[in-house]
Order: sequence, then structure tokens, then C-alpha cells
Amino acid sequence: MGSDRVTLKIPRPLYERLKRVIEGTGFRSVNEFVVHVLRDLVAETGEDTALTPEEIRIIRERLRKLGYL
Amino acid sequence: MTSRVLVIGLDCLDPGLVERFLDDLPTLRGLIEAGEFRRLRSVDPPITVPAWMCAFTGRDPGELGIYGFRNRADRSYDGLRIATSAAFRAPALWDELGGMGLRSIVVGVPGTYPPRPIRGLLVSGFLAPGIDRDYTFPRSLKHRIAEIVGEYIIDVRDFRTEDKDHVIEEVHRMTGRRFALMGALLSGERWDLAVMVEMGPDRIHHALWAHHDRTHPKHDPDSPYKDAIRDYYRFLDGWVGRLLEALPVDTQVIVMSDHGIQPMYGGIAVNEWLIREGYLALREYPREPVRMDDLIARGLVDWSRTVAWGEGGYYGRIFLNVRGREPAGVVPPGDYEAVRRELAAKLASLPDERGNPLGTRVLFPEDIYREVNGIPPDLLVYFGGLRWRSIGTVGRGMIHWHENDTGPDDANHAPDGVFIASPALAGRDLSLLDIHDLILGLFR
Repeated sequence: MGSDRVTLKIPRPLYERLKRVIEGTGFRSVNEFVVHVLRDLVAETGEDTALTPEEIRIIRERLRKLGYL
Repeated sequence: MTSRVLVIGLDCLDPGLVERFLDDLPTLRGLIEAGEFRRLRSVDPPITVPAWMCAFTGRDPGELGIYGFRNRADRSYDGLRIATSAAFRAPALWDELGGMGLRSIVVGVPGTYPPRPIRGLLVSGFLAPGIDRDYTFPRSLKHRIAEIVGEYIIDVRDFRTEDKDHVIEEVHRMTGRRFALMGALLSGERWDLAVMVEMGPDRIHHALWAHHDRTHPKHDPDSPYKDAIRDYYRFLDGWVGRLLEALPVDTQVIVMSDHGIQPMYGGIAVNEWLIREGYLALREYPREPVRMDDLIARGLVDWSRTVAWGEGGYYGRIFLNVRGREPAGVVPPGDYEAVRRELAAKLASLPDERGNPLGTRVLFPEDIYREVNGIPPDLLVYFGGLRWRSIGTVGRGMIHWHENDTGPDDANHAPDGVFIASPALAGRDLSLLDIHDLILGLFR
């Protein structure tokens, strides 16, 4: 069975820079830091592109006022 | 090969007005003298969504399956969904350039909310509900925007008001901030393609057309706002000039619009007409004006006796209630074509209130698109060649309206937009659908 982790390759100069970025922070490794940043990014931009009911209400009202509907 | 391309999209910038005001527009005049000025044929419908994304994907509305700001997600009667970035499945220029390792800055393109990742920076267009949302990619960009321009204005607030001073001020403020942002990004970032869309021209046209147009029935020759549109064009020209000052000399500049503008004389209450002609049946005629959405939501449409219903907007959309297709469809599939053609002919010959021909155009999706995806309207209707809008509201007992159901508005979209390129690029009149290949070709 496949492992629940995969290996990502990043350029070494970037790795070295990230190592310096996390020096003295709570992140114990570049790996941990990168996972944190990527999780954060996905949570924000994620696949969930659906509008909330409140957003739909705001947008519909705007479109009406603009004359598009 | 060009090293960089800057596209300044000015929603609704009209070729006739550019020509007329050209002496007052030194920046555009300079670009035209060093390049070219052409008409840019819009798509059907010539409306912001889908038009801009048609330009940047090279696909027509049928191919995209996006026929307006709202589209039927399924065959239900209340299934209209707002077209978000997720609805546009075809790759846009910046997606393709990203795949080639090139970076883009994209600001304000309608159809890009919620923001999707790109190689570069993206600020969503005016369907972003507010700057309290994540309207940029990456998310951190919105904090930079606040540092650069303070409160970024996605779109004019309180647009439908008789307070014209407010609208004029607000449009100017919005435009100034978007251009200031664009200027800061262009000089502070690495980019190969930069695209911005400014909504200001559209807003100013719709809000002030009757003040500007001496031939419009609602024109007041003493209006203090009669030069407001010309003044705005000059203001805009100034900002375009400031943006260009800081550009590297090898940049290909394109100034374009998604459609133009023309006077609007009124609205056709399309559902009122359908009721009168026996195509649409209500359980109860409302005592006061009610929007079609609300009639449907309240269960007031008698679908068992309804052949067709319509949607309002700058253009009309007609949907047929077909048996086996809509949930309570009544039109036998075998009669669909005949019913549709009969409706089209009647709509096309609908006169104005004095019995004069209106010049309405009725379009069949399969005739105008290369493919027809998603759920298209069965008919697209340009009342009076878009000199009349479509009004979905029912309850005033009349078909011809001279006030809008959404507030004062005396202009509608015209099918030709603007294409200015410096240096010259096209050498011929173009369609919006040519833009994608034209720009992509510059990077190949």
C-alpha cells in the first residue's frame, strides 16, 4: 500500500533560503514549515469556489442595482 | 517577440465617443497616432459577463456555457446561478502564460471571483462581494493594496441614486484608485502580461446618459451634468497617461473595451407580454410589481399552463417549458421548434407603444455560437436592437416602460467596442474573440 506521505522536490537554493527564514522560529524543519504554509494557502484559496448564501445575496443585489438583472 | 503586453480594459468605452472626444484625450490620441484604432465587435450578448472572459479565453459564450451574469445550473425553474470564476472552465491567457513560465498581473477582470491561483498576482473583478473577503491571489496582496491605495473600491457604492454628484465622485475615486494600484504593481513587480479592467466608463454611461445625449427624450439642456461623460473620458485619459509613463518602452499597449454604449428609450416587460399573449400563466396576478425570480420562488407561476417565461436585464432571455426537459414542462418536444419560431417571430414584430416597429432582434443560440454548452436560453432577445431593455418584473399591467425596474438608466450596450494598439498589431477590425490568440501570439 502507498504511504500517506509523498516527497516534493524544491530547488536547493530555495531550501537554503527557507532554512534561514525559519531560524529561531517555532518551525523545527523546512518540511514542517512548507507543510504549514501550503495548508494555509489551500485553506484560503482552496477548491471551495462556491459562494455563501450571504455572498449570493450581496452580489445579486449589486447586479440588480447596476441594471444587469 | 514582444517582451511585455499591457491590456487596459475599459468596460463599455465607446468607439464613437472616443472619436468625438479625441481632441480632449491626448494619451489615447498619442497611442492611436503611433498605432491603430479599430472597432472591436463584441460577443452576443454584449455584456460584461461573459464578454471579458470571452476575450481572454478566446471562447464564445456558447463554448463557455456562460450566457450572462446568471445561468441556469439545471432545468429547474429557480436554478439561476451567478457565474463565478469556477464557472469559466476554459484556461484564460494568464493560465496559459503561467504554463509557459510567464508571469501575469490581473486586476479587476469580471469573472475572476473567487480568485484562483495564477503565476503572478490577481485582484478579482467587481463580483467580489467586498474588500472584507479574500478577493486577491495571493491573499496577502490585499494588505499591500490597502497600503498602496487605502480603501480599494471594487465597484461604485450606491449606484442607483438620483444624487448624480455622488455617482460622479465615486466613479472618479474608484477609477483613480484602481489605476494607482495598477501603476504600483506594474513598477513593483516582475510581469510579462498585465491586464486590468476598469468599470468606470460603464457606470458613468448608465448613470448619466440622458444628461449627455442631446437627442435623448429625457435630456435636459440645462443639466449641470451634460459634460460629465466627456469630463470622465478626459480624467480616464489622464490616468492611462500616468500608467504609461512608467512603462518600459518595449511594451505592447492595448486599450480595449468589451462593448460600446447607445441610448436606451425604455424597457419591455417581457413576462407581461408573455402573459398577454397566453404563453405565461400566473396563479394570481400580483397587486404590485414583483420580480420574476420572486414570482417563481413564491410558487405564483402556473407551470402547467406556461409555455415560456423570460428574464430581465440589458437583453432578454426566453426559456421554453418543455415536457421531459423542465420539471413541469408542457411543450411537447416535437412542437418545440415550431413554438420557438412562432415566439421569435412575434417578439421580433412587437411594436413600440405607438405601433411603430421597434427593430427587435431575436437570436437562436445554435446560430450564433460555435458550440452550445451548459443551459442556454432558448431565445436571446435584443429589444429595439438593445435600445430597450428587458424587464422581468410583472404587476404594472403594461408592456412598455419608460422607467427602469432597477432605477434610473438611459443607456444600453452597443455591439462595437474599442481596440487601440500601440504599436499597431491587428491591421484590421477585430472581434473580441480574436483578442486571446492575438495576445498569445505575441509571446510565441
